Amino acid sequence: MIDHTKAVSAPVEHKGRKGFLPMETNLFDRISISVYIFVAICLLWLRFIEPLGPNVIYGALLCVLLGIFIVRKG
Amino acid sequence: MGKKRSNLGLIGTYILWTMMSIFTLLPIYWMVVVSARSRVELFSPGKFWQTTFYAQNYTNPLTSPAFQRYIANSLIIATSNALLVITLALFATYALSRWKLNGADNIFFWTITNRMAPAAAFILPLFLLFTRAFKLGDFMMFDTRIGLILLYCVFNLPFAIWLLKGIIDGIPIELDEAALVDGAGRWTILYRVILPLAAPGLAIAGILCWMFAWNEYLFAAALTSTRARTITTGLAEFVTVTGTNWGEMAAVATISLLPALIFLVFVQKYIVMGLTFGAVKE
Amino acid sequence: MRSNRMGWGLLAPTLIILGIFGLLPFFYVIYVGFFDWNVFSAEVGRQFAGADNYRRLVFDEEFLGSVGRTLLFAFCVVTIEMILGFLLAQTLVRDFPGKAVFRTIYALPIMIAPIAVGATWKLLTIPGFGLLPYYLDKWFGIEYQLGSHSGQAFWTTVVMDVWHWTPFVTLTMLAGLTAIPKEPLEQAQVDGANRFQVLRFLTIPMMMPVIITTLFIRIMDALRVMDEVFLLTGGGPANATRYIGILIWRVVFPQTNYGYGSAMSLLVLYMTLVLAFLLFSVLSRVGKQNTSEK
Repeated sequence: MIDHTKAVSAPVEHKGRKGFLPMETNLFDRISISVYIFVAICLLWLRFIEPLGPNVIYGALLCVLLGIFIVRKG
Repeated sequence: MGKKRSNLGLIGTYILWTMMSIFTLLPIYWMVVVSARSRVELFSPGKFWQTTFYAQNYTNPLTSPAFQRYIANSLIIATSNALLVITLALFATYALSRWKLNGADNIFFWTITNRMAPAAAFILPLFLLFTRAFKLGDFMMFDTRIGLILLYCVFNLPFAIWLLKGIIDGIPIELDEAALVDGAGRWTILYRVILPLAAPGLAIAGILCWMFAWNEYLFAAALTSTRARTITTGLAEFVTVTGTNWGEMAAVATISLLPALIFLVFVQKYIVMGLTFGAVKE
Repeated sequence: MRSNRMGWGLLAPTLIILGIFGLLPFFYVIYVGFFDWNVFSAEVGRQFAGADNYRRLVFDEEFLGSVGRTLLFAFCVVTIEMILGFLLAQTLVRDFPGKAVFRTIYALPIMIAPIAVGATWKLLTIPGFGLLPYYLDKWFGIEYQLGSHSGQAFWTTVVMDVWHWTPFVTLTMLAGLTAIPKEPLEQAQVDGANRFQVLRFLTIPMMMPVIITTLFIRIMDALRVMDEVFLLTGGGPANATRYIGILIWRVVFPQTNYGYGSAMSLLVLYMTLVLAFLLFSVLSRVGKQNTSEK
């Protein structure tokens, strides 16, 4: 009757799995990591590669692919 | 030998801590001294001690209607915010502690980084939202007390929840269960069982939230213009608008840290726990 | 099922407020960051600008310089505070008469409003009647002019922050020091380890969770420094103390460059989030190691 009262884990504790990333991650972590990498690559692209020619769109596409890979396999 | 050495160490400790106390108090002492000096006295350099008291520095701002409004605003905003935050935090912590709510922890990780993020990064979107989006007829969120009260929740709520989490988790579930068996509802449990046990924690969280709201400057400066200005923005105005009335500025700064002095006595023991979100306990 | 709904119900007001005032601005700033929107510009309203704001931002020397300056400030401040705080905490472990008084006096700066800290230090350093310029000149012959020497301005902000936050570091360290078990330390001393070895191989490893938590909080706080510097120097002289918060304020309010300001805010947020994430991973990992060792 009262088995629905379960203590919840502390907000910090991450229950996740181990992929190729060097730590246990849950979905939220992997999405965050993808977004962080996405932004970092796009900014570096803007600064260093775009002056040479290729538009930042290509960089963004590359990052989306990388992001999908991280979310699924990380 | 050992006794002698520990005595020597004790003297060293006293010298060290006397110096640290002087270093800590010197800026505050100087501020109080400046607040007690008239303009003429101020510019006679090298005078370290103060014997006279120039009360006008205090009476001028305290009798001006604008400044009275600043103080009233600060008091209202800080108090309402603290009450709102501890009420909501109690509900939220109870929910987080007694139910398995998927995804809730991630939301709190996100909001805690929100608190850690540079406040300056949020002034622009909030300013635009407050002036353009949050409107209802003639009502505009910009320059209202309610706007600041709700906004400070964003910073104080995650803080209060993290602080209370450990306390509520520490209240055994068996107490809830016993009350449930006795036929009490959830609200009764919250009110009769949890609230009394968590009261000291709530008080500490409330005081610290009150202090944060009282001390906040950036948002108050960006999101108010005249009606809802707080004492901290009033303090900054002395430098920019009225030029250099240093005596009055010092007086206002002294007034603004009175609550800190009063509350320090109460929360001194819990400051560490409070400011580390309960991560470090004493 | 039903009671889960009650759980969410209790959480709902919190989530609504955090959503409206915490998440909404976040998404709004992403949105505005892609527009060219300047209130005083010739074109009325905002125009979609794609990645132009960011294109400009990554080459903006003022912005990059400000980020570097903020990082330098955070590095100086946090290093000094951590070392000083750790050493001072060592002297407070033992009980001595009057400790409580010293502690209370010492904790005072933590509670003072940052803007009031700025005001105090402004009064202390103002040329004409401030204590610091007068005595530095009288005793050491140093010309102390906050408004014209950029080095002095920078180090004054550092000292101010050290004054403001070392007490906090000391108190957390003290809490950590009093919590660690005493037996291993005494045993090691009996076994002939000297003080430094005890500190290096026992105290510091056992203190690691506390040290990292404090470090995390201090780094994040130092990066968002704003109010006190705003009042003390206003970012000057020139741009010597124009830390990132002050720069954003300048772009947003006096210049009303909303689109560019949004891009800047977002980038700063991004950097903070990444840093927080990295520090947080390290933090929870060290915490886990520590508990598994027990």
